[in-house]
Amino acid sequence: MYGLVIATRPSRASLNESVAKAVLLSACIVVVAAMGALLFYLAIEGTRLIFADHINPFVFLFHTTFDPDSREPGAFVFIAGSIFVTLFAICVGGPFGVAVGIFFSELAPPRVSALIKPAIEVLVGIPSVVYGWLGLTLLAPLVRTYLGSQTGFGLLTAGVVLSVMILPTVISLSEDALAAVQTPLKEGSMALGATRWQTIYRVILPAARSGLTVAVILGIARAIGEALAVQMVIGNSAVLPRGLLNPTATLTTEIVTDMGSAQPGTILQHALFSMAFLLLLIAMALIVFVRVALRRQV
Amino acid sequence: MTAAAHPARFRTSQSIAAQRRFADRLATVILWGCALAIVVLLAFFVGYILYLGLPTISWHFLTAPPSEVEAGGGIGPEIFNSFYILILTLIFTVPTAMAAGIFLQEYARPGVFTTTVQFCAESLATIPSIVMGLFGLIVFVSLLRWHFSAIGGALTLTILNLPALMRVTQEALSSVPNAFREGSMALGATRWQTIVRVVLPSAIPPLTTGVILIAGRIFGETAALIYTAGVSVSPGKSAFDWGLFHPAETLSVHLWYTHSEGLIPDGAQVGNGTALVLLVVVLLFNFSARILGRWLSRRLTGA
Repeated sequence: MYGLVIATRPSRASLNESVAKAVLLSACIVVVAAMGALLFYLAIEGTRLIFADHINPFVFLFHTTFDPDSREPGAFVFIAGSIFVTLFAICVGGPFGVAVGIFFSELAPPRVSALIKPAIEVLVGIPSVVYGWLGLTLLAPLVRTYLGSQTGFGLLTAGVVLSVMILPTVISLSEDALAAVQTPLKEGSMALGATRWQTIYRVILPAARSGLTVAVILGIARAIGEALAVQMVIGNSAVLPRGLLNPTATLTTEIVTDMGSAQPGTILQHALFSMAFLLLLIAMALIVFVRVALRRQV
Repeated sequence: MTAAAHPARFRTSQSIAAQRRFADRLATVILWGCALAIVVLLAFFVGYILYLGLPTISWHFLTAPPSEVEAGGGIGPEIFNSFYILILTLIFTVPTAMAAGIFLQEYARPGVFTTTVQFCAESLATIPSIVMGLFGLIVFVSLLRWHFSAIGGALTLTILNLPALMRVTQEALSSVPNAFREGSMALGATRWQTIVRVVLPSAIPPLTTGVILIAGRIFGETAALIYTAGVSVSPGKSAFDWGLFHPAETLSVHLWYTHSEGLIPDGAQVGNGTALVLLVVVLLFNFSARILGRWLSRRLTGA
């Protein structure tokens, strides 16, 4: 009697258990498969430029003339544009974001945190087109009026919009990094007579170095991948910018601008897919950097 | 050599201390300033969008179909499409992401498989949404020949948002104390029973908050939808087009399209109104996430 109960009950539970585990496991496999498919299809479409059109990858990467109709799909302008706006965003938004991260982890009274944190969540939630729209209707006219730019569209406008857009990423990640610094380290510094700022500057920031690196890298990832907000304010002309006020284009904005009119099978379409593939490789490289930075922490 | 014997040096160390105090105060002021600037910035954004958009908002604008060339078009179908694609995306994303998150948090042991899944999730989370849009274009639009469709857009957004929701699930589960699990297992429950009956119920408040916040992000997503769900709505009188395989331009895509490619003379007004509706919906999502999360945690875990 007892033997029967013991023999049947657990077996049903353990059947459920293994079914559940298999279902959960298959969801993980979906994630891996999605990434695999993404890599596979973009690699195929992204290398047609080389293997089907026989364009030298060197031309794609380093030539400044983008004229796919005459077999000259040089994407250097877009690559440079992406690097410029990203650098701008990280130089402006990075320190600002880290400063707010320091504020949350070291200074903010809980009540103030409870007030400001929801604001940051809203900033995350604002769609990128709305940021673009703000740049378009608010920032561009200002740049036009006060800085003497002809259109108001260009590197500066795009960079400022991006700086705001990467803030939430940098803030929350740097706050996490700073909060992870152990209290005895801070107390030790204070006990030696250091002021709060000295403690932050000399002890906490160096201790949180790898976490802050991660915050900056993921800020870069966000900036380099943003498409629409930048496309709406950068001016979209395929020339190297001579100054901050000049219009230019980036990898993402070029894809958005021309994909709609690119006929399947043309060099233009293949070049745009190559740019997407390049962006994919950059994103994965950044993730590898993040992993390296985090491993160094331990 | 005491400090008193060298007054000059003594003064210096005093002035250094004063300098340090000054630097400390200055840093405090600057850090507070940065944090307050965020709030001011947000308030300004919201105020400005309200100021721009409110004159456009009318019942006609919110319900009428968009216009391609003439003035006076509305955003009715776009509002519907945005919610339709959001719901479709959540139907695909929530179960998959939760299952994967539960597996990683409750079952997975460190190893090659776990590392692979995590690496894939992190990569997916970092991939620009426009790149995801082109993947959708390759697979759903061209390969499967669905053309621009609501379902293609929703599936693209699913892949885009899986990692974020997995992260939310994992964090929600990790907030449940281990003692709960141990207690349940000690009573003879299996791991799965423990998860369903003990762990998940306690993780519901953070899960709900997280899902609603991600829903807000899905609602505003644009770049991944332009070349998957398309920039047009089905012609017809009704704003409600349930067709899974019909093109389904959303609000945010409409805002972009009006600016970049649109021909309508009142593009600025339509854009202002659309931006306002987008912002209001996102704010609603944020508030409801917060309120619902707090209410649930009081109901489920509180006294």
